Amino acid sequence: MRRSRWMGLAMVLVPLLFYAVFMLAPICQSFSYSFYKWDGHSAATWVGLDNYLSFVTDPVLASTLSHVLVLIGFFALLPIVLGLASAALITRRALPGMALFRFIYFLPQVLTSVVVALVFKRLYGPEGPINESLRAVGLGSWTKAWLGDFDWALPALGLIGTWVTFGFCMVLFISGVSSIPTELYEAARVDGAGPLREFFAVTLPGLRSQLAVALTLTITGALRTFDLVWVTTRGGPGTSTLTPAIALYRAAFENPQVGQAAAIGIVMALLCLLIAVAIGRIAERE
Amino acid sequence: MRTHKAETIVNYAMLVLLAIAVLFPVFAFVSAALSPDRSGIPVPGVFAWENFAIAWQEAEFSKSMVVSLTVAVSAVAAQLVLAVLGGYGFGVLNAAGQKFLYPLILFGIMVSIEAIIVPLYYQMRELQLTNSLPGYILIHVGTGVPFGVFWMRAAFRSLPRSIFEAAHIDGAGSIKMLLNVALPLVKPAILTYALLGFMWTWNDYFLSLIFLHGDNQTATVALGVFQGKYLTQFNLMAAGGLIIAAPVLILYIIFQRRFISGMLAGALKE
Repeated sequence: MRRSRWMGLAMVLVPLLFYAVFMLAPICQSFSYSFYKWDGHSAATWVGLDNYLSFVTDPVLASTLSHVLVLIGFFALLPIVLGLASAALITRRALPGMALFRFIYFLPQVLTSVVVALVFKRLYGPEGPINESLRAVGLGSWTKAWLGDFDWALPALGLIGTWVTFGFCMVLFISGVSSIPTELYEAARVDGAGPLREFFAVTLPGLRSQLAVALTLTITGALRTFDLVWVTTRGGPGTSTLTPAIALYRAAFENPQVGQAAAIGIVMALLCLLIAVAIGRIAERE
Repeated sequence: MRTHKAETIVNYAMLVLLAIAVLFPVFAFVSAALSPDRSGIPVPGVFAWENFAIAWQEAEFSKSMVVSLTVAVSAVAAQLVLAVLGGYGFGVLNAAGQKFLYPLILFGIMVSIEAIIVPLYYQMRELQLTNSLPGYILIHVGTGVPFGVFWMRAAFRSLPRSIFEAAHIDGAGSIKMLLNVALPLVKPAILTYALLGFMWTWNDYFLSLIFLHGDNQTATVALGVFQGKYLTQFNLMAAGGLIIAAPVLILYIIFQRRFISGMLAGALKE
């Protein structure tokens, strides 16, 4: 069997090579780029931590992080609360037709983001169903171009995220609940626990790993939002829906400040890593 | 019995309500695609099926759909080969150095594409691999390694050890064992991975926006360009959107359980 271990090494070296060239090497380069000021053509100059400090000194870049916080509310918290509520309310018995519902709830997950963006452009449009129904009930003065409004564009984008992620969270939680041992529920009932106590004592702890996964995926999803924003608002109006990924794209390819773009990428990756590790730790400890 | 029935009714009412919340936007989009009106407002009883043909021609989807298909099929094929090699090497053969090498690969699952995109672009530019399909496919293959190896390793490890021992006693070498014994048994995992990989590559927007232009545009980016040009013709835009979404949707309808269980399992195991 010893020989097979070397055979195994020979095999894993093939994917490792691709991984090293297309991921590991660029990560290291990203770090070194991030300490320079470079327009992509002329010579680069060393600027130390300036590109990182601009998250503090540049109000526009700083605002992308507060936009992310708003998006997290819509991409992560709202769908998870909705998903938990439905997982708690829906019976643990197998319901006929559940497969069809699962199919529907998962649909937004397989639709390409460009199409999702267009779907909501239609919904939010000046003559879209939302504005039409407002007019129909006599609230014509409330109608607006939702994605073109300084105050409403960000929450409107956020709701698209809610639509995309809530089905995933819900299906994840419902499948998680069905694997919680029935005895735990029976024991809780014997102890005289009401539905609310049952939820906090049995359901919620039983869904710990699913919760950790849902939180990690949706929060990092909110942090990395690009496609939806790019197709609907391009970060506008003004900079009201600018996300870090859009800022990165602009800095990398539109008016090249390559070092700045690399620093944004590194900050995003570190935040993702931090979120994943922190949530994993909390989920394990309890 | 009575509470049982009431419970069932409440459950279904909730499920239907949530299903409507998901389907309503889609329904509004489909009816816009079939509307003869440029703004996409549906006209009762009139279905403008020709919108699909017009959108197909105006957006030159025949080109970009072929690009997307080429890219997705070749990337998935290459990803599969790498994933099987890595998964088998780590999962069955216990590759020398795996204590260090496997966590190194797993680390890649946590690295977001944003952290590598900038140097990747400038490196590829140097190699003249920007706006080139092989270059773009290579990026998908390379960045797909972590999840692929992780996925196939789990599949190989779920096989009972005894079948490998039996094959070993029969004198089968590592490669013969992979081809004759292991591969046929992990076919379901391979199919699920191929479906997910196809979906991820087909649906990619960020990478193709950066790396491919003009004739090399993928369908998703072509749709984005189309919607910029035809801002005032929402019915055509919606029809184009449905065309682009169709291939993955058809696969999803056929293989729905694989898609759902694959995405849930992939997420949970990470």
